[in-house]
Amino acid sequence: MISKFITEVSTVFNPFSPKAKTARLFLSFLPPNARQTMKINTKLLPRMSKEPSFVELKFSKSPSFSMMLAPVEDGMQMKLDAEKLGIKGVIEEVDRHSRILSRQEELTGN
Amino acid sequence: MLPRTSPPSRAIASILRCKRPLKIRRQYATATATAITPAASHERMTRGEAPIARYPPTQPPSYKPPEFRKSQLLRQYASLLRSTPLMLLFQHNNLKSNEWSAIRRELSLALRKVDEARVAAGFPAEQLEEGIKMQIIQTGIFSSALKIVEFYKPETSPSTLDPTDPSAPSSATNPVFKSDGSDLTHTLSKAAHDATAKKSHTLAPLLSGPLAVLTFPTVSPFHLKAALSILSPSPPQFPAPTRRANPGWHDPPVQSGMQKLLLLGARVEGKVFDVDGTKWVGGIDGGLEGLRAQLVAMLQSVGAGVTNTLESAGKSLYFTVEGRRIMLEDEEKASEEKS
Repeated sequence: MISKFITEVSTVFNPFSPKAKTARLFLSFLPPNARQTMKINTKLLPRMSKEPSFVELKFSKSPSFSMMLAPVEDGMQMKLDAEKLGIKGVIEEVDRHSRILSRQEELTGN
Repeated sequence: MLPRTSPPSRAIASILRCKRPLKIRRQYATATATAITPAASHERMTRGEAPIARYPPTQPPSYKPPEFRKSQLLRQYASLLRSTPLMLLFQHNNLKSNEWSAIRRELSLALRKVDEARVAAGFPAEQLEEGIKMQIIQTGIFSSALKIVEFYKPETSPSTLDPTDPSAPSSATNPVFKSDGSDLTHTLSKAAHDATAKKSHTLAPLLSGPLAVLTFPTVSPFHLKAALSILSPSPPQFPAPTRRANPGWHDPPVQSGMQKLLLLGARVEGKVFDVDGTKWVGGIDGGLEGLRAQLVAMLQSVGAGVTNTLESAGKSLYFTVEGRRIMLEDEEKASEEKS
């Protein structure tokens, strides 16, 4: 998964629901230094709640390790329904947008 | 005149000398050979031969191959689950090894402080800190171990022949099992596998992804509170240690590691709790002693209420009857005065 363009991740899930697996796996796919380069909010729902779990993402044009210097917001926000997509689908969506951003970065020659 | 016989030579003499004892020895040998079999010792006559076990008692035949790592992990997790009444489940998202070691260090320091505070407060020394451990688990094996512990309760222990029982046949193996091990009841047995294969535990959805457990040897809300304030502080109830009180907790490895740990739930005395339930257990004031004191106070007040209620019925009856008696007496007096 290309995670260097992600600037903000917020997930909501109920760990006692089997459908929360996607959101949890997505959190575990982020690199070890993710907390330094992006904002991560996790909200755990109580056990009996039926609210849907989702993964919400924000992207920046420049790679996120340079976010501290000049945060250029891409403006792209994704709200992925973790229950329907599955972890493969979520990663596919993230990679699709990240590839576009990395291509733009290459073309601008930074 | 008797013919003069020359004395036998020394060699012949020696042979002659040994011959006699040789003969005697041979007789003894036959005698002992016949004596061993019938004249068994008194013990053997009364107790009978102990039946022969076909395998060492520590290695009963197993359904799953015992030489695999996963079989031994299953045994280890099952014994862990049987011995720990309080267990916290954490998701760990890519912690580095230095972050793990820093977190474990801070945890053990905080728990040792709790132990010392308990001893200082006059409670007996328990040294729970040594028994509280954080370990990463293999989720699939852990879930099947959990199912075995929760759902598989073999009611009858395997029928073992008592070797001291005279009626026990000496040819029987001990304990008595079929040769294919189909009536064994240990964790790795086929019976345990069949009893739990199609069940699912309420904790099962949690057991996916990278998971670590924190296990406590007893349910101790004090230690749980200390562990929660180190691992997932939430300000009003479980405040993070201040920089002055515990500077080590504010080290970068501890901080970054702690952000990546995610408390998911807990298993307390076989019951499953979510995050709020876990915080409730950690927030029990005064620990188990406090709970017991509350319960005793409640029962006492109930008892007093019951006695009051029961007494009041008798009292009211007494007062009614007494009032009626006084009334009748007054009436009698009045009628006597009239007459």
